[in-house]
Amino acid sequence: MALPLAKQFALMVPELFLLGMICAILVIDVFLKNSQRNVTYWLSQFSLLITGILVLTMNPGERITGFDGAFVSDPFSVLLKLFVVGITIAVFVYSRPYMRDRELFRGEYFVLGLAGVLGMMVLISAHSLLTIYLGLELMSLALYAMVAFQRDSGRASEAAMKYFVLGALASGLLLYGMSILYGLTGSLDITRIAINLAHSPHPEVAVGLAVVFIVSGVAFKLGAVPFHMWIPDVYEGAPTSVTLYMGSVTKIAAFAMVIRLLAEALPSAHIHWGGMLELLIVLSLAVGNVIAIAQTSIKRMLAYSTISHVGFVFMGVFAGTDAGYAAATYYVLVYALMSAGAFGMIALLSRKGFEAENIEDFKGLNQRSPWLAFMMLLIMFSMAGIPPTVGFYAKLVVLQAVVQVDQPWLALYAVIMSVIGAFYYLRVVKFMYFDKVEEVVPVRLKLDAGILMSFNGLALLALGMFPSVLMVYCTAAAGGL
Amino acid sequence: MSYLQFVFYFFSALTILSALGMITVKNPVHAVLFLVFAFFNSAALWITLRAEFLGIVLVLVYVGAVMVLFLFVVMMLDINIAKLREGFVRFLPLGVIVALAMVVELGLILGAKYFQLAGHPQNQSMLPNTEALGNVLYTQYVYPFEIAAVVLLVAIIAAIALTLRRRPDSKYTKPEQQIAIERNQRVRIVKMSAEGKSK
Amino acid sequence: METVYLIIALAPLVGAIIAGLFGKKIGKTGAHTVTILGVGLSFGLSVWVFVRLVFQGMPTYDGNVYTWMMAGGYSFHIGFLIDHLSALMMLIVTFVSLMVHIYTIGYMAHDEELWPSDSQVRSTAYQRFFSYIALFTFSMLMLVMSNNLLQLFFGWEAVGLVSYLLIGFYMNKESAIYANLKAFIVNRVGDFGFLLGIAALFAYTGSLNYEEIFSQTGKLATATVMLIPGQEWSLPSVVAILLFIGAMGKSAQVPLHVWLPDSMEGPTPISALIHAATMVTAGIFMVTRMSPIYELSTTALSLMLIIGSIGAFFMGLIGVVQNDIKRVIAFSTLSQLGYMTAALGASAYAAGMFHLMTHAFFKALLFLAAGSVIMAMHHEQDIRKMGGLRKYMPITYVTALIGSLALIGFPGTSGFFSKDSIIEAVELSHIPGAHFAAALLILGVFVTALYTFRLFFLVFHGRERMDAHTRAHLHEPPWVVTLPLTLLALATIGAGGVMYPLLFGDFFRSIYVAPDHNVLAELHHHFHGALAFLIDGFLAPPFWLSMAGVLVAWDVTLYRSKLGIHVHSRLGWVRTILQNGYGFDAFNDYVFARGARGLGRLLWKAGDALLIDGLIVNGTARVIGWTADRLRWIQTGYVYHYSFAMIIGLLVLLSWYVLR
Repeated sequence: MALPLAKQFALMVPELFLLGMICAILVIDVFLKNSQRNVTYWLSQFSLLITGILVLTMNPGERITGFDGAFVSDPFSVLLKLFVVGITIAVFVYSRPYMRDRELFRGEYFVLGLAGVLGMMVLISAHSLLTIYLGLELMSLALYAMVAFQRDSGRASEAAMKYFVLGALASGLLLYGMSILYGLTGSLDITRIAINLAHSPHPEVAVGLAVVFIVSGVAFKLGAVPFHMWIPDVYEGAPTSVTLYMGSVTKIAAFAMVIRLLAEALPSAHIHWGGMLELLIVLSLAVGNVIAIAQTSIKRMLAYSTISHVGFVFMGVFAGTDAGYAAATYYVLVYALMSAGAFGMIALLSRKGFEAENIEDFKGLNQRSPWLAFMMLLIMFSMAGIPPTVGFYAKLVVLQAVVQVDQPWLALYAVIMSVIGAFYYLRVVKFMYFDKVEEVVPVRLKLDAGILMSFNGLALLALGMFPSVLMVYCTAAAGGL
Repeated sequence: MSYLQFVFYFFSALTILSALGMITVKNPVHAVLFLVFAFFNSAALWITLRAEFLGIVLVLVYVGAVMVLFLFVVMMLDINIAKLREGFVRFLPLGVIVALAMVVELGLILGAKYFQLAGHPQNQSMLPNTEALGNVLYTQYVYPFEIAAVVLLVAIIAAIALTLRRRPDSKYTKPEQQIAIERNQRVRIVKMSAEGKSK
Repeated sequence: METVYLIIALAPLVGAIIAGLFGKKIGKTGAHTVTILGVGLSFGLSVWVFVRLVFQGMPTYDGNVYTWMMAGGYSFHIGFLIDHLSALMMLIVTFVSLMVHIYTIGYMAHDEELWPSDSQVRSTAYQRFFSYIALFTFSMLMLVMSNNLLQLFFGWEAVGLVSYLLIGFYMNKESAIYANLKAFIVNRVGDFGFLLGIAALFAYTGSLNYEEIFSQTGKLATATVMLIPGQEWSLPSVVAILLFIGAMGKSAQVPLHVWLPDSMEGPTPISALIHAATMVTAGIFMVTRMSPIYELSTTALSLMLIIGSIGAFFMGLIGVVQNDIKRVIAFSTLSQLGYMTAALGASAYAAGMFHLMTHAFFKALLFLAAGSVIMAMHHEQDIRKMGGLRKYMPITYVTALIGSLALIGFPGTSGFFSKDSIIEAVELSHIPGAHFAAALLILGVFVTALYTFRLFFLVFHGRERMDAHTRAHLHEPPWVVTLPLTLLALATIGAGGVMYPLLFGDFFRSIYVAPDHNVLAELHHHFHGALAFLIDGFLAPPFWLSMAGVLVAWDVTLYRSKLGIHVHSRLGWVRTILQNGYGFDAFNDYVFARGARGLGRLLWKAGDALLIDGLIVNGTARVIGWTADRLRWIQTGYVYHYSFAMIIGLLVLLSWYVLR
């Protein structure tokens, strides 16, 4: 059963490579002058690229576990890791000019960013409670530091403190749930936990208790109501480049945790967590969509929109079927793409001494840069779920999964809520296209960021027209769980 | 009640009491000391479970290193405790109600029905706890162990990145500049005409 | 081969994208080069495919290229079905399209002059036009090459869209905007039926793929559907009629024909390509493709026979009183489409397809010739102001004559073979309504000859009625215009030669005809070679009728040109009826347009403004806005509030669990 050690290590070559590069970059960066910081940047991008390629080439194509079940490589993990790595590359590209303008362009940002990616990869591939927790902490620790990265900004420090304190609380809850689970099953391994729970009689209530705490913990990491309070403050307080990072890729990793914990470890407890998720979904959709309307800051607005999207992701999980998991996977990947585009746009439109953080700042964007305005239009349409963008299809598959398990009312509710949500996305579009500004400040755009943003926006359109390109992989990933 | 049970309840009660004390006392130094006490009691609980290594490490690391550092910090900072505790009394009833509700519900669920002291076997291994841990730490658990190491590394990076900074007003000397100094930078010989006769 | 098919379909698309998006950069020459290259490549490969398929016995290809999406356990594919039928259509579409592309270089060369000088789109109008027609070619190819109804529908809508864009090409002209709106809306009516038909088929067979649908015809034949409680209807009839409603929209059959005459607002090349040769025949093609379904329903066949023959005769009559050169040809298109539909109704699908092909050639030819005349006349389209153009434009004259002879079915031309076989097939048919239809079709021959040669004589013969300035500038257009004319004229003459294999051979293997409907087999009985058919043609009533038509045309236009005025004053009411197109437009405007607007206004005032907008939407928005304002104050910014909220959340989850 157990693979030879060399083969076990071969499974995690991408992670090992990334770790090695993190250490190397850390050392190299010390010897660089401030003007040579681009070397760090390109090294980081190079590491991510190679990591991505390694993930692809090392893909076993099936489900293999190593290290006593602590590490798993399956289609699901490969898909998610590829997206994490790919979107992080985009995040770095978008944030470079922003960081440089604010004198935040330092090596530690990239080292921490890469460490966060490592944490996410660990989390995605984690198949034991221990590695899940460690991966989560690795990711979160990097995030806490990145949020506080702008040391002179009171807002950023405040946001980091809030994030840290609340994150610690959530970790505590999660850990408590895990410890109960361990106490019940006597194992940390997800596979064995699932088998133990399914086959031997366990006190239902105790399982339920573990589920309550685990759901609370993961709900915090994804940001579902009522564990969402940190999201708007942290998103707004953090430098946009960090918001961009934590708003997009970390959701993928957190989602992997949800799938591993709920769908893989606790399928037999679906009756427990299903109901709890339903509660979270109902609240998240309502709070996210309704409060977003009253926001004037686009970062806060997108933060609330995140909350409502999390509601949709949870709906897929809530269905508890393979189709549901595939739909949720699809949704979260698409969401990461949209969110990277949206926050990336804020970063690109900001310039030295000016943060494009109010919705008003998007006024007349069409005059300033019709192409960027069009990209933002695509992103907003996709977030609102307007065909033919991919956001529509993502919502559709999720709703379909929910309807298939005979929950039409939940689906209907979600549709109503997303109609309400469409309002504030379209408001951005209205500002961009129908409001005029007196002085037209042209947008200065780096070529790489411009190309990537075009790719990002057009991908939303292309995926919307050919949704099965990605859906095939999501279905395979969910089938391989 | 066996002797072991008595010991367990004794230390548990002390742990809970010291934890309560930690969050209620006014003086922050006292609070830290309460926390130290809670750690001690937890260590004792671990030892009753035959996990003596963990118990000792808890005392060594947390009490010996972490909490002492914490104590220094708390003593050095001038914290206006009264301001921090504003509203404590006002929110107390609400907090107590929530806490009670939580305790009651947890009690309902957990009860004595499922989680009994006797129900769980202790460490049956013949090996001492330290050796047992040593056997698996670098073999079976090498992967999580290494991740834990990376977590620490990231923590170090984060801490340095967030705190290391050059203050313009900080007064420190640069040894390499001190060494490389030359005579004429130190001493300036000024030629002056001797005080002469007035014109 | 899959790659070849993909190239055939996508090459025009690539051309369209380049010309459309980078039109400013590549300029006029670049735009027409790239689109012509794309379409030319498609044409070349289509010829190759056709040769391999027809002469070298390559088997039919039916396969899926790409899975577009999966929903509800059914996969929607993009796929190709390349058999003789689609290969022929591909050939027609790419050939005519290529001709039109080349022709357009000459026709649109000075297009800027037609735009107001301050128009923003003026500078790229030429490129835009090429982009559109290449896009159209792509859409049409997708339509004919499809192996399933969904892709067919995609192509169907796409050609409709391009047609809309092109009719309204001169977007600053109000009449153009009106016409494209009309075309679009009327087509929506047809599409509605079409979509319902597709949905019904999908519901009963669980598939959209032709092959899979046709394999279930046995089961379908006896299926019934109850649309109104208590009324059991035969499913094939319902499906066939619904699909035919779609065909009525696209192929402009009475009463959904009203958009086609107005569509002449677009530039002439698209009248030739879209509104005569290819797009309007999509309905004919679709019915032919779905022949296994149609053969199950005599009702639907009968309906097609009657509607087709009514169109063939009555629409031709309107052509007699038109004075706009393009409108005359447009009404003739309506009439010819009627012939094709009648052929389908008589189960003579092959004859319909044959006529579709010959019509594509000669009608494109006529339109392009008309375009050539319009160019020479400085965009004057009124035939009363023309005359005697024969000596100024000899090539146009000869080609137009060939086209006209083909249109009236003069023995020897391709139109003769195809039209006569339709008439004979309908005469032999036993489907209810066949006698009525046959009578109308034969009368239609007279009408066809009348309006065709009235047009021809008025334009090319007789007194020169244009002003002196125009006359001074009359000349033959450049070679890019005359070359397509000549090629199309050759095709018009030559296309008749393929009659035998097309009608009586096993060329159209994919067409299924029920044994008791098979009129073409019966016709085959009477057929003793093309020459005999030709000689018979000289003796048959249709020939004499058409000769009579030509004679009358000559009589009223050239010999006794005053006669027209006389008839005008005596039979003014007939003329009024005809000129108003039997009042279809007025009826639509009055009942549908005004009625819908009235209903809309009522619903708007009472339902929308008051109830929905006032109470529900604004009310909801206000409530939500108010709630949002209140709720945002929950977000206090204090970390202990947040953590408390989390604890409360935990408590709620716990309580939900305990109290459940």
